Amino acid sequence: MTDFAAILSTLGRHEVAYIVVGGAAAIAHGSARLTQDLDIVYERSRANLDRLVAALAEHEPYLRGVPPGLPFVWDRTTLSRGMNFTLTTTLGDIKLLGEIAGGGSYHDLMAGAAELRVFGTRCLSLSLPQLIRAKRASGRPKDLETVAELEAIEEESS
Amino acid sequence: MQPASRPDPDPVVEAYKRDIDRSLLRENLKLTVEERFRKAMALARFAEEMRRAGREARPRRP
Repeated sequence: MTDFAAILSTLGRHEVAYIVVGGAAAIAHGSARLTQDLDIVYERSRANLDRLVAALAEHEPYLRGVPPGLPFVWDRTTLSRGMNFTLTTTLGDIKLLGEIAGGGSYHDLMAGAAELRVFGTRCLSLSLPQLIRAKRASGRPKDLETVAELEAIEEESS
Repeated sequence: MQPASRPDPDPVVEAYKRDIDRSLLRENLKLTVEERFRKAMALARFAEEMRRAGREARPRRP
């Protein structure tokens, strides 16, 4: 099980710049749907990659779904050579995204994001309108079901 | 009420919307963000336990 509290606290303690997206952002806005992992869009400056590496280093990050024992090195060089990383850690599953459809990068999303105060830390999450846009843009059938729920939340909140 | 900023309704989304249990959403909206995460983690623990029990389930003998 993914320990959202522990991962968010760890990222906060290391001052990682990121935005919660996907199912966890939907939960923050009131979704009743379950999600198995934490998806984040991370800022890709050299300094932030170092913070992200430091934050997860002690939690044994490894590529999810990949046979054990492959030479995966968790460092800034690895992060800077890729964009999206689907990881398993001792705190649970986390997806690191350089950018998302319908939203773009951390810097594109930051201004419209919502601030969450949770588990003794502060972090950014997609706002409800941003989340709806992103889910619509992904175009997957299962995301349309999520859009329906998010729009219902928007209607219940207004 | 539909927010004014929303694009034209998508018929697929509107169809899904009819089956949404809004009472669950209303209950979630009464919670803080942290409580929503804690509830989700508790549900995930429950789901994991049920999966484990399902894997270990054996047919009952008459």
